[in-house]
Amino acid sequence: MPRLTRLPRRPKLLTCLTAGLLLSGSAASIAPAGGDDDNGRPPKPPRLTMDETSPPLRISFISYANPQQVASDSETICRYLEPYLGIPVKGYVSTDYGSSIEAMRFEQADMAFVDPLAFMMAHEQIGAVPLLLEIYATGNPVYYSCIWVRRDSGITSIEDLSGKTIAYADQVDMSGHLLPRDIFARAGLLGADQLTGEFFKQVYFAGGDEQAVRAVLNGFVDAAGVSEFSYLLLRPEERDQVTVIARSVESPSHLVMARPGLPADLMARFTQAMLALDPDQPQDRTVLDKLYGVQGYTEAKFSHFAEVARIAAGYGFVKKPDVFAAEAEQDGP
Amino acid sequence: MTLHYRARPRGSRVRTTLLAAAVALGFAGPAPAHIIPPENLHPVAEAYRRATFILNLNPVVWAQVETDVTAIADHWRNIEPDAAEAFEAAAAGIIAGASDNRREAAAAVFTLLTRAVNAIGQAKLALARQDLGSREPVRLAMREARGVFGSFDDVVLATDATAFHIMGQRWLELSSAIGSPGLLGRGEVPLDRRRFDRAAADIAAYADANFGADFVPLPGRALAPWPMRSPTFDASAVLPAKLPPGSNINKQLPRPRQILNMAVRGVDERDTVLIALGDMAFDSPLILGDPARSLGISCNTCHNKSLTNPNLFIPGISHRAGGMDVSNSFFAPHANNGHFDPLDIPDLSGIRFTAPYGRNGRFESLREFARNVIVNEFNGPEPDPMLLDGLVAYMFEFDFRPNPSLDRDGTLSGAASAAAHRGRKIFNRPFAQMSDASCASCHVPGSNFVDHRRHDLGTVANAEAYARDGALDTPTLLGIAYTAPYFHDGSQPTLRAVNDWFNTSFGLGLSSAEIDDLTAYVHTVGSGIDPFEDTTFTLEAEMEEFSFFLSAYEFLSKRNKTDLLTATFGTIALEIRAHKWDLQDWTHMPVLDRLAGLMDEAAAALQRGDRQRVRALVGEYRKTYQKHRKHLV
Repeated sequence: MPRLTRLPRRPKLLTCLTAGLLLSGSAASIAPAGGDDDNGRPPKPPRLTMDETSPPLRISFISYANPQQVASDSETICRYLEPYLGIPVKGYVSTDYGSSIEAMRFEQADMAFVDPLAFMMAHEQIGAVPLLLEIYATGNPVYYSCIWVRRDSGITSIEDLSGKTIAYADQVDMSGHLLPRDIFARAGLLGADQLTGEFFKQVYFAGGDEQAVRAVLNGFVDAAGVSEFSYLLLRPEERDQVTVIARSVESPSHLVMARPGLPADLMARFTQAMLALDPDQPQDRTVLDKLYGVQGYTEAKFSHFAEVARIAAGYGFVKKPDVFAAEAEQDGP
Repeated sequence: MTLHYRARPRGSRVRTTLLAAAVALGFAGPAPAHIIPPENLHPVAEAYRRATFILNLNPVVWAQVETDVTAIADHWRNIEPDAAEAFEAAAAGIIAGASDNRREAAAAVFTLLTRAVNAIGQAKLALARQDLGSREPVRLAMREARGVFGSFDDVVLATDATAFHIMGQRWLELSSAIGSPGLLGRGEVPLDRRRFDRAAADIAAYADANFGADFVPLPGRALAPWPMRSPTFDASAVLPAKLPPGSNINKQLPRPRQILNMAVRGVDERDTVLIALGDMAFDSPLILGDPARSLGISCNTCHNKSLTNPNLFIPGISHRAGGMDVSNSFFAPHANNGHFDPLDIPDLSGIRFTAPYGRNGRFESLREFARNVIVNEFNGPEPDPMLLDGLVAYMFEFDFRPNPSLDRDGTLSGAASAAAHRGRKIFNRPFAQMSDASCASCHVPGSNFVDHRRHDLGTVANAEAYARDGALDTPTLLGIAYTAPYFHDGSQPTLRAVNDWFNTSFGLGLSSAEIDDLTAYVHTVGSGIDPFEDTTFTLEAEMEEFSFFLSAYEFLSKRNKTDLLTATFGTIALEIRAHKWDLQDWTHMPVLDRLAGLMDEAAAALQRGDRQRVRALVGEYRKTYQKHRKHLV
């Protein structure tokens, strides 16, 4: 999913609705957790005396386009966290999730910003634990994938795409492949366990959300299966030329995960410091702006991933989806 | 009534962060839609398209072309250094002799550029095909090749849509054939070399055939990469108007605070239909001709809310941001004066007090000046007399900013600083070096700091020795604190620099402290209250303004002014669509779409002569707007 988190505060949901999309269900099933103050956020944790001799907390930040910018932004986050953790905090920039997870496997990184698919795989392989879900400008820690077509195409349903072409973002991409593909699987148009199928005349992987939705805009393909936010990668004057005909199940947002074995009190202080970030407070806003522009965080639970784990398992990315259901029981009330 | 040009102050944090995100992530939205982001082009494509645009102009700004040639050569040098050197040397040789024959030189440089871009794209593609053993270099080389060949995309799309479509699919084949490394050992998709090679060969063949070593420009047509060798090339196709990379016609945010005399006086705006018509015309690209019309350029683009637009820049036409050559070959070839004489965009505040008009004061009448802008600077049709009346009526409402430091007669009030008071004495001091004139001789304080005359101070380069072609209109100093840079060509960046120039050019012998005081005085005179709006949320104010446009409907309808009504409906629809992404709560987006659609329908009904339907649609627009206006912010 592209990092398009700084949307106007309300979702594009009703725009989709007016385009003729009938959606089942309305409110996001993952709601931001309630907190201790009137804003639903806990207070900032107490400040600690800095122990310069302590090993640092090492956080892996993901960069999608501009590693230098992310490196610069990460400094702000580290400086924000240090007084609450009492130890040095260091940020590292990675351009792919695999590198972040490998760094955690070899204890070269303690935490990482990842997408749901990377987390689930990291949990299975190295025991990573979920800490925080990002809250988007929609107000919720969830997103959807959509099937996009040209508005003037005459295509109004996914059934209309039989024998036509579709572009996804990338083969290994939750929002840019697995979730949109699941839309067809749920409708019985594609098998739930194969990455290709006969329903389409041709399936492409465009290399990114923008390339995929632009392929629809330019008429290179009939449809694109990418994030609900991908149309924002088009120029303003182009956006009305594409529309949504179907929406996926809800996916938890991108998240912060931690490697196993990290001290519980450190994770607790980190979590509280992040949950306390209030987008309506200018100083906190400055920090959030450097954190991919999210509106805040809410606690992540294993149960949030139960549905997407099942989908990812269909394509072999997750081996034991029931682990997430079992872990869900451990989430507690 | 409402002061309909005042955007209601709101927290600007969300908009600020949206803009910051757009910049940081390099993507197109969710920045305000009327802030058009630059097209995301490969550096080679950017240089090629800009150079091509400039090479089609008369005159050609060769210095910019040279910069773009160098940019392309530098990129090529990393892959094929000898070829890059030869290309750069050949282009430099042609440019050196360009003054002898602009057309031939431009065509020759364009030919070299096109062949060079194709060669770079081919080299990148070849690299991708060689490196198939490793996925990441292949992916990077492919992306580079795609970006470089993107130089030709807009022309291929317009003139060879079939090939554009096929090539687009070939690029998708390439990216798909690369496969995926998977994640943590799962989901790996191997490279499909056969598929990759097949698609790459098709792309290479199309580009080589059309833009390769034997490429030549299409005779008698604009310099463009016409894909003439393609069997599906449509020779009759017209290229859409497009500004070159590096252009910026965005309005400034926050917006200048516009002072309309009628609003300040509390006049009911429903009673000022002629002003409403003029306001619409001022904001309307539809009263201009192509290419300005297609590009969405209006009076308001340059004179943003009557002030100057300091951002405006078009390579080859502008010399610096905030200025342009208005007698150029792009916007109105018929009125091109054939030489590059860009002007700084003037502030229109208080324009009813500052005749004559034009930097050289060539028009005594604002009406004639406005007509010339429409017809001769921007290629528009002869305007309806009522439209010109409206434009003048609207512009006559532009007031200077209130300035508590100035008394009614232009003298300093007690609110001014001591330095300003000292500077006032210098301002009024006659200098023998200026034929016993003072600054105040031309910038007459009691006459809004103008003398309504033209003077040649030597700021314009003469056409030849002893020529008398450098006189310029005396500009007012009111509001000048917000209109940097200064002089007709924007050559002086600050008010201090202007005073330095006078001191040096006329040998006035002022000390540095005296120049400081003089600058303090001029700055005080040129200041005002609240020069800019205190919010970047403009949709609410814009929507109010569109309603104001529509207040002229009954008046225009009674007089059967079909063209003006069409322009009014069209302008409102255009403007709503240009601003719709500014909406803070997107759940109300359908309302904006509906309002724009109602204006489209009204224009169509008008063309059919169905006046009853037009009336109903205008009524529905007003009703819908009133019902939802509080949400349209």
